[in-house]
This record gives sequence, C-alpha cells and structure tokens, in this order.
Amino acid sequence: MRVKDGVLKYGFVGPALVFLIAFNIFPLFYNIYLSFTDAELSGGVTQLIGGRNYGVIFDDTRYGTALRTTGLFVVLAVATELILGFALALALQKPFWGKPAITTILLVPMMLSPAVMGLYWNFILNGHYGVVNQALSVFGLFQPQWLTDPDLKLFSILMIDIWMWTPFMMLIALAGLNAIPNHLYEAAAIDRASRWTVFRRITLPLCSPLLFLAVLLRTTDALKQFDLVMAVTGPNDRATQTLSALLYQVMFRGYKIGLGSSYSIVILLIVIALATIFIRYIAGIQAKQGRETA
Amino acid sequence: MPFLELQNLQKTYPDGTRAVRGIDLRVDKGEFIVLLGPSGCGKTTTLRMIAGLEDPTGGQITLDNQNVTHLPPSQRDVGFVFQFYALYPHMTVQKNIAFPLENIGTSPSEIEAAIDRVARALSIETLLDQYPRQLSGGDQQRVSLARAMVRTPDIYLMDEPLGTLDAEHRLELRAFIRRQQLSLSITAIYVTHDQEEAMSLADRIVVMDGGKIRQIGSPSEIYTHPADLFVANFVGSPGMNLLSGQIVQNGDNLTFTRPDTDIHIPIRANTAPAQVVFGMRPEFIRPANRGIPGKVILSEYLGSHGYVHVDTPIGELVMRSTDRFATGEKIHLHLNETHIRLFDPDTETALT
Repeated sequence: MRVKDGVLKYGFVGPALVFLIAFNIFPLFYNIYLSFTDAELSGGVTQLIGGRNYGVIFDDTRYGTALRTTGLFVVLAVATELILGFALALALQKPFWGKPAITTILLVPMMLSPAVMGLYWNFILNGHYGVVNQALSVFGLFQPQWLTDPDLKLFSILMIDIWMWTPFMMLIALAGLNAIPNHLYEAAAIDRASRWTVFRRITLPLCSPLLFLAVLLRTTDALKQFDLVMAVTGPNDRATQTLSALLYQVMFRGYKIGLGSSYSIVILLIVIALATIFIRYIAGIQAKQGRETA
Repeated sequence: MPFLELQNLQKTYPDGTRAVRGIDLRVDKGEFIVLLGPSGCGKTTTLRMIAGLEDPTGGQITLDNQNVTHLPPSQRDVGFVFQFYALYPHMTVQKNIAFPLENIGTSPSEIEAAIDRVARALSIETLLDQYPRQLSGGDQQRVSLARAMVRTPDIYLMDEPLGTLDAEHRLELRAFIRRQQLSLSITAIYVTHDQEEAMSLADRIVVMDGGKIRQIGSPSEIYTHPADLFVANFVGSPGMNLLSGQIVQNGDNLTFTRPDTDIHIPIRANTAPAQVVFGMRPEFIRPANRGIPGKVILSEYLGSHGYVHVDTPIGELVMRSTDRFATGEKIHLHLNETHIRLFDPDTETALT
C-alpha cells in the first residue's frame, strides 16, 4: 500500500514534534504562566498574582548581586577561554611531533561531567589536604583558602570553568584556522606581509565568525552556570551565587515555584537578547565577506 | 649574466615523489618564458620554487645576481598569479590590490594612484568596492593580476592564470597579458598546459615532461623542429604524424619505407640507412591526383579547416585540409618532402 507523502512527512517528524512540545514548548509556556502565580511546592491554592513576582525580583538585593556575579563570571570566563583557546589553536595549527597526543590530552577536561569536575576540584583545592596547597607548602609559599575565602571562591570556580572549557574554544578555533585555505597564506607571503600582518589581516578576520560562534555558545552556557557553583560552594553562598544558583535556591530550597519561574524567565530573556545580538553580528560579518549566511 | 638562472634545480617531496629532476634555465630581463607540459610534468613545482613557495631539494636559483634558492617569498621581489586567484575573501577588490603596497609601506596617496592605474588597465574600476565572492571567475583573475601588477616586481610568475576561465575571457586576458608584456617588457614565467596559450604568449617556450626539460626554444622552433618525439607529439593539435620505419638506399636516393609496402618517400636529408621514426605535421600533407593512396576513416570539421584521418599502406596519416571528405572516400595524399622530420627510435631525439 502506498502511503501518501503528506502522511509520511508527519510520520517522520511526528515523534520529535511530540517530544519537543512535551518537554520544551509546554514547559516554557507553563513556566510563563507559573511566573504570574504564587505557586509553592508546599501546596496551598495557586492564585494568579499578576506581575508581582517580577516586582519582588527587582527589589531583592540577592538578585542584583547574582546578576553582577553572573556577569563578572561570564565576561572573565569567556574572555580568558577565548584568548587561551585561540592561542592553543594557533600553537597546534602546524603539524609537529606529538601533536595528536597533545591535542587529545588537551581535550580531556571538556569530556568530563561538570558535577564530577566540581567534586574533583574540591579535593584538589581543599585548604588542608588539597594537592595545590600541599605543593605550595613544599616551597614554603602562602596557602590560600581557595574554597572558603570569600574573595577567592568565585575565582576558584572561574579557574575550573576555564580549565574545562578552554579546550572547547581551542577546538572551534582550530576548525576556523583549518578552514582558511593555504593559498591565502601563500598569496600573503608573495605580497610580503609580515607575520603580524598575516595574523591581523588574514588569520583573525577569517577566523572571527567561528570565534564569535564559540563565544556565543560559551556565553549562553556560562550565563546558566550552576553545576560548578553547586559542587564547590553550594547554591546559597553570596560570594558565588549566580542567577541559576539563586533560582535553584528560591525554587527548590524555598519551594517558591511562582517566584522561581519568574527568575528563570528573566534568565531566558537575557540569554535570548545576547544570542540575538551575537547572531546578528556574525551574520553581518559573513554578509560582508560575501559568504552564504548561516 | 642572465637575470634569472636555474641550475640543476630539483625537488623531491618527502613521500619520495621526484617532481623536478634537475632543471637548467637562463632567462634574460624582459623575456616572457612559458613552461609548457602535461599535468604532473613539474612545471608548477618549478614555478613555485622560483617564487619561494616550495623549498628546492637541490640546485640553485639566482635572481638579479642574488642567490635566492632558500629565501622566503617575501625576500624575493616576485609577483605571483595563482590559478585559483587566491584573493582575500574578506577584503574588497580595492583592499586586495592595496595589500601588497601597504606591506612595503607605500603612502596612501601613492597606493590610491597605483590602484587607479592598474584598475584602469584591467578595466576593473567599477568593481573596486565589491568583494571577490561577488565577481565572476574572469573578473577575479583580473583582480589577481592587478594585485600582482600594482607593485612592479622583478619578475612575474603566473600559474595557469587562465586555466579556469571560459574561452571568451581567456582570449581577452591572454591578449591583455601579451600587450602588457610588449609595452612594459616585463620578465615573466608563465605556466600552462595549453599549447595555444604558450605559442601566443611566449618569447621562448620550455617544454617539460617527467620533471625534466625536453626542449627550450621559440614557439616556431618548438613547432617546426621538435627536439624529440614527446615534443613532436605534445605540441600541435593534433600532434605530428609519426610513423616508425626505415631509411633504405633506393638506387641513388634514400627513401623512407615500411615493411610490407612498396611505397617509398624520398628523403633529402643528409642521413644514412637506419631505423627511424618519420614525422610530418598535418598541414604539410595535401590531397593530390597521384601519390600515396588511402581511405578516409574520420573527418573532423573545425570551421575554417578540418583534420582528415586517412588510412594508407604506410600507416594512418592526419591531414589538415580546407576541403571536406566523406568517410570511406578513396583519395591520394601528397607529402611535402621539405618538411620531413626524422627521429632516432631508440633515443627518441631528432635526427634532422
């Protein structure tokens, strides 16, 4: 029996569509609905309370602090990862002895679960028995309290994040570098460009769309930073409380589902706004270079 | 002292491929040299070694009294036109052309004047603000030529610059390059596998095969006096008619003949009876009332003329003709004896 094309089409797409609606679309709209209610996990009658939750958010000092913490975290983490990752990619661009092994080792941090990494680094950075401080003590150096000093906690989480995600930047930067055809470097050599000129005017601009894409992915991901905070300090430490940690605290420790939902909507809006700006920017660059827009 | 000299130039790649097996070439200032050969003959590798894009594994390159053998491209004064243009995709045409001048610290006003000059010469004034991706292949190659010509390098190196263009653009740019060459008497090495291009552009043609030079000479020397069987066959379209046979004493005269035939072609050249390869260009064969009998087996019509393949008792001969013949038609052929070329069948080199 022949199945009509239209039926077949929905047959293929259907299952994915059902999952998408059940686990993405429906929760999103239900979340929006909840953010306008006073729903609590502890029960009681849920009532629509209009925009009052959003008012609460902007009056809450924790929100401002979490926003600053998140912003600082995103900027420092992504910028450092970009610079280190690109530098590593440049170092790995040309073939040399041992390159495959080194590349593989460099990619290991990225392949491990963030939660496991958080626990692992808890041991490494522990003030009393951690490897880092033991090493410092051998040389008689000052031993910082990486995980308990309020001034250092965020820095420690930042370091772990950089350690984990620099390989990701490196990988994408390498893809970008490899996509630059060799004859352009040859043309530049004929045109007597210095190494710095080649980097500044050939390598960097041709690599930049992919670098921006990597920054976009890392930024949206870092904005949601939660697992490392959770594993290293817990969700309710003012020095490290990111927006996601605050959301978790409100929703799952305070059981305030309605308020928590409005927090998540705010985070979502920030992510969407940033992503839109980045995507427009990348499209702009590509249009300028006369490439097909992605 | 030649302007450019290649001495026993060699290139063996790490995988053992011997791309260039010892090349000697002397180029005078203002000469337009074409490296001609089939793909894989080492002509592009030779060019890239002159540019500094490949490091020779043997021999020496001298340019303008300086040993440049192992110098990077930036320390030689060369312009290079790539087969696939190699334009910077993120720069406008203007920026592409300006790039080589900016790198040597030319002032902005001079750069502007220079761009203006080459853009006019190559009729790309209207394209200056566009990006390479927006241009046709022909226009991209114009820009590439402009980028090479905006600076006045010691020598221009061109790697099949017209190879990817359509026929119309190819002829147009070929004429442009020839005019530039004549008016500015630039020194250039030009690589191509297209013999027509080589003939029309070159002061001297270097025919290469298997990483070696087969013959160096003016286009007419190469065409009329090929040094060996490879050149005789490769140059000319179709190539020279080549028949192996022997020269025998026939009374007072020497004649060329083949076994199992009583056809004898008189040989006037000062030679002795021997095994030879007999060669004649298709245009020196014409239909006649008497002569070598044959049957037309294929007739190629090309407009102004045609090529007629004729089966004769001494072998298949291709004749250039303005007359048209039907397949199967019985005709007689006359061979112009002053244009006979003889080759040694063992060394494959020319005897006359």
